Amino acid sequence: MNANFVAGSLLPFGFHRLDDQSVVAVSAAGDHTFLTQQELLALIQTPETLELKKRAELQSKYFLTGNSSIGTLELLRSRIAARKETVLAGQSLHIIVPTLQCEHSCQYCQVSRRLEDVGHSMSPSQIDASCATIFQSQANALTIEFQGGDPLLRFDLIQRAIDLIQKMNLEHKRRIRFVVASTLHQLTSGMCEYFRSNQVYLSTSLDGPALLHNKNRPIPSRDSHARTLAGIELARSIMGPQAVAALMTTTKASLAYPEAIVDEYVKNGFTEIFMRPLSLYGFARRNIKHLGYTLPEFTNFYQKALQRVLEWNARGTELREGTAALIFNKLLSPFDAGYVDLQSPTGSGLAVLVYNYDGYVYPSDEARMLAETGDGSLRLGSIGDSLAQLMASPVMRQLIETSISTQAVGCETCAFNSFCGPDPVGAQAEFGDMRTVALLTEHCKRHKWLFEYFFRKLRTADDDFLDIAYRWAHPAGYSNA
Amino acid sequence: MRKVRVRTHGVEYRTVARVISLENLSAQWRPELRFLVRAADAEGITKVAQLRSAGLTNLISLTSSLHVADQWQAEPVVETGGILMDEDVVAFADHMNHAHVLYRYTDQHHTVFLTNRCNSYCLMCSQPPTKQDDSWLVNEAVEVANHIASSPHTLGFSGGEPLLLGEHLRLVLDTFAHQHPSTRYDVLSNGRLLANPIYAEHMLKGLSERVTWMVPLYGHADFLHDFVVQSPGAFEETLAGLLNLRRFGQAVQLRIVLIRPVLENLAALCEFIGRNLPFVREVALMACEPIGFALANPELTDIDLREWSAELSHGIRTLKRAKIPAILMNAPLCALPQILWPYAHKSISDWKRTFAEDCATCRVKTECAGLFSWHHPGKFSMKIQKIEGIINV
Repeated sequence: MNANFVAGSLLPFGFHRLDDQSVVAVSAAGDHTFLTQQELLALIQTPETLELKKRAELQSKYFLTGNSSIGTLELLRSRIAARKETVLAGQSLHIIVPTLQCEHSCQYCQVSRRLEDVGHSMSPSQIDASCATIFQSQANALTIEFQGGDPLLRFDLIQRAIDLIQKMNLEHKRRIRFVVASTLHQLTSGMCEYFRSNQVYLSTSLDGPALLHNKNRPIPSRDSHARTLAGIELARSIMGPQAVAALMTTTKASLAYPEAIVDEYVKNGFTEIFMRPLSLYGFARRNIKHLGYTLPEFTNFYQKALQRVLEWNARGTELREGTAALIFNKLLSPFDAGYVDLQSPTGSGLAVLVYNYDGYVYPSDEARMLAETGDGSLRLGSIGDSLAQLMASPVMRQLIETSISTQAVGCETCAFNSFCGPDPVGAQAEFGDMRTVALLTEHCKRHKWLFEYFFRKLRTADDDFLDIAYRWAHPAGYSNA
Repeated sequence: MRKVRVRTHGVEYRTVARVISLENLSAQWRPELRFLVRAADAEGITKVAQLRSAGLTNLISLTSSLHVADQWQAEPVVETGGILMDEDVVAFADHMNHAHVLYRYTDQHHTVFLTNRCNSYCLMCSQPPTKQDDSWLVNEAVEVANHIASSPHTLGFSGGEPLLLGEHLRLVLDTFAHQHPSTRYDVLSNGRLLANPIYAEHMLKGLSERVTWMVPLYGHADFLHDFVVQSPGAFEETLAGLLNLRRFGQAVQLRIVLIRPVLENLAALCEFIGRNLPFVREVALMACEPIGFALANPELTDIDLREWSAELSHGIRTLKRAKIPAILMNAPLCALPQILWPYAHKSISDWKRTFAEDCATCRVKTECAGLFSWHHPGKFSMKIQKIEGIINV
């Protein structure tokens, strides 16, 4: 082939060292390549000396330009825009917290109040006002999620909201999906029939085998696990096999059971598991000595669990792991799956809004939990305020200003800044100041570990692993929660 | 294009007409069309001549023997021993010794040829471009649209590069869409001229939603693609054109012709498509037609596809990961690993398809795309080997 072409110029990129001799480099489009030290130097100093195949790869991944670039630059713009879709297309996730009441008294739970407590629920008129604000969002697809407490304890409020939204949507014509996050202990067949006819999905917590689950989630009768499984069964029998998704929260007690937790999901017919670390909010933060663990303890646990998930897949049982899926989405897919924690500017307030039982609107689930511990500084306004008013609040302005990954100190040179963004709500929870340098936060440490871990996996991946990675990377079927 | 031997007289200029029987004439006759009316004998020609003198001047007799037309020297007559079917749309003139069958309803594939000019110069081009003004083809295409009696399911427009016709291409597309609203249309174009946003808007805004643009892409970097199409800057223009096609909601099929420099980088090209052009409807991987410029560049185009199974499989797997549908065209099954047979399409047009002697006893002949009619065993041709034994297709 004729190599007689003009050398193009270098485009901005970041790199992350994997070892003495190699780096992973990431371009502005979010495309990555593995480079030897020698190739890295050649790319920067003498790109014309790069081997032709490598040169073609680097051009096609936006590290180098070709002779002209009318098409390439347009494509690059569209790639970056696609990554920002989640935060620029309007709030798509609206969380309504109708009540804080819950039957459980989980040690790590953020927020919940016992059944007999009063004054921890929304008024019907606050439900109505929340629904009005939801439709002020520009997003074509809306997910309305009910959280708590256990929202099923106030099924009347859920029903009021869903009925009203369905009625309003006759005019607005958005694609709407409802999610109810619940222990499912209070679920009845009447509720299931209502959910089935209103495109409502259920999301529940399943922490693992009975012993672990019941330890994490105590109730007086000590049968939380059995009652949640009964709820899952009931929902599936009426609403269909895909009616319920489950999430697990990793506590200190979970760390010893990575395989058993994964197996519990397979045993109960789930095709998706989401291995989540404990978030340091609410009551969990107060009990940190008792419940907490270090990042290496979590990552060690996580790797074993992921290995188990991959074994199940190799045996022909399809099981998708949520954390890996959202990282693969960032690394491999041109479409953003909409995960609100990895956005720049932050998804808090831009992709998600929380309408809380206390009458205030918060920028994220974590922000309302923070309020339960006494820090109400992240309130955007009151329920009933227009979306424009909420967006114009000083808190919203600061959330945005502190979460631009190409500007924030420490992030601007990070190789992963196309996939990630500072988490000001997390910084507020951890350090009491959302302007805290992102590098110091748990959010940064955990996600840096995840990006590096999965880049290493991809570097040595065989075809079967790549098939899974790409399958999980695709946003379809991914839940926003 | 299918040709049928004819002799004519009284047809001074190239004329497009619909073949029709005398019985059906009254039902189909319209003043703005022309009809080639079957006249089996002198009586039939007399009848046509009477209708002409009564004012139906848009009729021409079609006979199997010019002798029967002796007494009608002044009348235009077409004679053929070949096969013309009712509703065929044909073009003919006294200076031609054949008629072009521009449209035959029963064909599997329908193509309207729009120009032989091109702004690329692909090193495997099956139809090397010429520079002559052939703008008369546009008028003929409009005539074809008007003369087609039964709308086809799908109809393709080819060249040359149809976008060189500018607003005339839009006229052709609009005419077809108006006359045959249920038909799906394929436009074979390199998309380069659509890089210009103003041109793109004129061409695409409000265009029928039933159009698919079939755009070739031969590399994931400019120097790879531009080398294959022998045109500096083509890669960037095609990318910008594809983005404009997306902007106007047009369906796109990417086409990759499997010649050596393309196969060498196929997986990387497929990855590039998955990352950057995920909006395309499908990607067609096409074996090279051994004709035209391909014969002049055998070192790049004369390959044995069976030796490239790994690259083909890797490319298709890469597209599958990106959830982009892939199809394989123009490749006989015996040139592909069996794992890729589900992707193979019987894509060679009826009038171009043939089989080799060896194929007669092949177990999968009925499932096979076959070979181009100019195939002959030996150098510069598709390498084949009949499939024997028990095969489940």
